[in-house]
Amino acid sequence: MLTGIMVRGIVTAMKKTNPSFLNGVPELLVLRLLSRREMYGYQIVEEIRTQTGETLSFGEGCIYPYLHYLEAEKQVSSQRREVEGRNRNYYKLTARGRKRLEELTTEWKRVTTGVSLLMEEQHA
Amino acid sequence: MPRTDFTEQLRRRLVELGCPIVQVRRLVQEVADHHEDLKQAALSEGLSETDAESRANVQLGDPLVLAEHLMAALRRSSWWGRHFLIGFCVLPLLAVPVLWTLFLMLGLSLEFALGYGWDWKKLHVATDNPVTFHHLVLALHVANYVAIALVTILFCWRARRSGVGLKWMVISCAICSLYASFIYARIWPHHFALGVTWTPQWIEAAIPLLIAGAIYAFRRRMMQRFQEKVAVKPPAPLREEWNLCRHPIANAKARLWTETGGL
Repeated sequence: MLTGIMVRGIVTAMKKTNPSFLNGVPELLVLRLLSRREMYGYQIVEEIRTQTGETLSFGEGCIYPYLHYLEAEKQVSSQRREVEGRNRNYYKLTARGRKRLEELTTEWKRVTTGVSLLMEEQHA
Repeated sequence: MPRTDFTEQLRRRLVELGCPIVQVRRLVQEVADHHEDLKQAALSEGLSETDAESRANVQLGDPLVLAEHLMAALRRSSWWGRHFLIGFCVLPLLAVPVLWTLFLMLGLSLEFALGYGWDWKKLHVATDNPVTFHHLVLALHVANYVAIALVTILFCWRARRSGVGLKWMVISCAICSLYASFIYARIWPHHFALGVTWTPQWIEAAIPLLIAGAIYAFRRRMMQRFQEKVAVKPPAPLREEWNLCRHPIANAKARLWTETGGL
């Protein structure tokens, strides 16, 4: 399970470990982004930062071990290509990655629905 | 700090932390690409070359700290890295007997399949033959030594791949050594015994330690070679002088060649 994401504001408290509720979230985010199009490391970090409204962010450079792990698990594949004069490793989702994304999305929806129900009940 | 210094520091620290060389190359390459992307983003915002370089360095942070983070992430990304206590302390104890049994069965199967076929009565009688019995004892010893060596190599390889460091590699070797020195297997005609002995079996115990020593020496040599390679890289005008020091004989020949006009 991947747990290397930081939540803005509590970064200092999480230097060594991340809260357990974030287990699997980086994996979900990376797979979700790669399901749209192939991307390289910097792009993924930037997209996570901007698309989560700067709530979540990967430490610069720390995304690569995760991408290598996902590649070893055959959830993504990589290819070094030259685009606009720059050589970069581009990552794209594989069939196994797509299946894993579906599983994680279902799980995520189940958890968030449950938590929302509880929170709404407490507020009511 | 220029990008080359940044990547060299990162590379050196990753090697020191026991990151596999293949991973080091790939990580450094990708972090260097990331650094360049950060710099280009800063340049597109109108910053000067120096300011863009500095901002990229600040965003990536200290290369030594980044190396620690990368190694931590590498460890977390594998089962062996997350469960090193079970992986490198408990599993060797289970792996040695399993592999040992497999090798023994394989050796004996081959021995009897080739010599006596699969007739169990013939096999029973065969152990009375001193030559066959000698082969059996030999098969037992070979299976024992090979199983111990293979398990040790397997766990060292796993420790290396998961980036847990030399400490856990040595621990798994020590456990294999301890196990091998006190667990014995003996064979007599029509009898086989497996158990624990308080008399250490020095040959069996030495195998994992020798492997650990060989791996340590190999790794140390590789690190030294790596340090020499990336250590003092003199600036371009001094390169020739630097080469003089490193290759005195070749240089003397070259000087002689120049002085004599190539004759």
